[in-house]
Amino acid sequence: MDCLIGIKFNDFAIVAADMTNAHSIIVMKTDENKLYKLSNKLAMAISGEQGDTIQFAEYIAKNVQLYKMRNNYELSPKEASHFTRRILADNLRTRTPYHVNLLLAGYDNQDGPQLYYMDYLASVASVDYAAHGYGGYFSLSIMDRHYLPTMTREQGYDLLKKCVKEVHKRLIVNLPNFKVQVVDKDGVHDMPTITIDSLKNE
Amino acid sequence: MLFSEKTRTLDSILNADPVDSLFSDLLPTANNNLARHNFEVAPVKEATSFVKKWNNSCHENLKIKFNHGTTTLGFIYQGGVIVAVDSRATAGSYIASQTVKKVIEINPYLLGTMAGGAADCSFWERQLALQCRLHELRNKDRISVAAASKVLANMVYSYKGMGLSMGTMLAGWDKRGPGLYYVDNDGTRLKGKLFSVGSGSTYAYGVLDAEYDNELHDEAARELGRRAIYHAAHRDAMSGGFVSVYHVKEDGWEFVSRTDVAELHSIYKTDQFLPVS
Amino acid sequence: MSLVQPEMRPHYPDYATAPTQHHFSPYADNGGSVVAIAGDDFVVIGADTRLSAGFSIYTRDQNKLFRLSDTTVLGCSGCWCDTLTLTRILTARMQMYQQEHNKVMTTPACAQMLSTMLYYKRFFPYYISNILVGLDNEGKGCVYSYDPIGHCEKATYRAGGSAGALLQPLLDNQIGLKNMQNVGDSKLSLERALAVLKDVFISAAERDIFTGDSILINVITKDGIQDYSFQLRKD
Repeated sequence: MDCLIGIKFNDFAIVAADMTNAHSIIVMKTDENKLYKLSNKLAMAISGEQGDTIQFAEYIAKNVQLYKMRNNYELSPKEASHFTRRILADNLRTRTPYHVNLLLAGYDNQDGPQLYYMDYLASVASVDYAAHGYGGYFSLSIMDRHYLPTMTREQGYDLLKKCVKEVHKRLIVNLPNFKVQVVDKDGVHDMPTITIDSLKNE
Repeated sequence: MLFSEKTRTLDSILNADPVDSLFSDLLPTANNNLARHNFEVAPVKEATSFVKKWNNSCHENLKIKFNHGTTTLGFIYQGGVIVAVDSRATAGSYIASQTVKKVIEINPYLLGTMAGGAADCSFWERQLALQCRLHELRNKDRISVAAASKVLANMVYSYKGMGLSMGTMLAGWDKRGPGLYYVDNDGTRLKGKLFSVGSGSTYAYGVLDAEYDNELHDEAARELGRRAIYHAAHRDAMSGGFVSVYHVKEDGWEFVSRTDVAELHSIYKTDQFLPVS
Repeated sequence: MSLVQPEMRPHYPDYATAPTQHHFSPYADNGGSVVAIAGDDFVVIGADTRLSAGFSIYTRDQNKLFRLSDTTVLGCSGCWCDTLTLTRILTARMQMYQQEHNKVMTTPACAQMLSTMLYYKRFFPYYISNILVGLDNEGKGCVYSYDPIGHCEKATYRAGGSAGALLQPLLDNQIGLKNMQNVGDSKLSLERALAVLKDVFISAAERDIFTGDSILINVITKDGIQDYSFQLRKD
């Protein structure tokens, strides 16, 4: 039921994740953070099986930090995506696979913004924009229609808002809030959370 | 690697020597490994789902019934944390007990609630109490609610998929002020201001969400908790018995009241306010 | 979430049958009921002596009460083979405790140990309904009842086993005086407890096919444990 959206532009990448946590038919909370900062210029949005998501995200985040401490330099987004994929793949055929879907948004000092799409089977793709969950059925076509790699941060945020608006309008599941982060050459930045109220005021 | 606990634990369970495991809880275990408990399992290939099979309804005549069913709630407000629970335990349609203590007093500053499998909750929260005490001895400081809930979540996460059933809230007071966390058997751990757990939780949410306000004064807050559980016990057949209310404040938790649902019914029928004891 | 769906497997007609699976069934229900009632300075526990499987009776004279110490008795019903295993390990553990601490295990300590021992079989449970009785550290009678995986609750009276659901309401009415107005806090006497215990078993033998023949009763007071037996219907 979760929804993750990510878009890559020429100068930055942007990721958004809904903030709802639900059990069966009950919404337990609507202010959960599903975005994890892995390193200075790398953010991860994660969804999937309860429990697995947090354990997996924290495991990756801590190991990316450990790598930095041991080697005195950070993993690039590409390297981090390979590491993440490897852990997911290694556990896939054990008794306890991680059932998690994720988006990795990062900024590489050489190659610029990066966006990786990864699912629970550990398949990875580098993409311009991607979405996980039912929200994808509504938002991917919006991004197909309006996406331009040259968009500015404001235009990118507006594109994201278009997607969330449609999710609010057409998806039966209640996903009121979306947390948004931008990753650019200066690092990971929080953007204003998209809420029903913030969309209404436009 | 930081990870590996999970695989090693499962391995040690699945390859446990059946003779040793008669005294398994006595065996020396690595002291820092929370998840290492040496549980005995059935000598079959699908050991991890063995007990689930026997809970299955296709073995109706020989079903292992565990105690289940509950309504519990907890919320943070201006005056601390209110925790309220019912006291019924059901095994199938049989009411196994009307007097279960569903609030587990972990230490003078920490309370745990119990929903789902009664044995799972009481065992793991007792295990948590042990870890909290060890933390205190090692660090000369009380464990935070955040840390305690993480300890519990990690313990049950290492048994994910093996059929544990546990939906618990941890309420307490630490340096950050009042704390409330939801922890369940799939390893979920959520921080929040208001939770309700159990088969009657939807009914409790209904009453709670409508009347909850952070600025409630103490008696109104306790009464709200009591009323929400009462209404859940009234609607949900699996909940009932007595309503117990606890209040967590800066100087630790305090037991507030324990009232028979039948008595509450006769009071609320005429919509009187419960007299302050 | 299996990765290979059954219908996606290649179809080889000659090898299409699934591997032979042998059903592993380590449990039996041998019936039996246990009832315990505690008073201020005593506790009584009774168990019927019928051991059966399905519609056949193995014996009419099986003791299901296990004396763990001079103040602690355990009553077991359910799967008899599990009962044998559990009680032997329990006795061993009690002895280990005695030899390590030079002190007999108290009833509350024993009650907690039983709970943990049952839970350590969480993934392969003992199929037993346990009721443990004894005198606590103040000499008061106490009853502990358990579910198969070790949830423990202290009570003052309890019925368990095949007729548990039949007898508990009777005890609620006669001992607990539940949902009655204007009933005094009259102290329960040993004579009354014994009389009710016998009565409820007579009722159980009337309506439960797994309960009958006779009952064995243990009365625990500060002076020790006394045995009684009482005959029930033999049909």
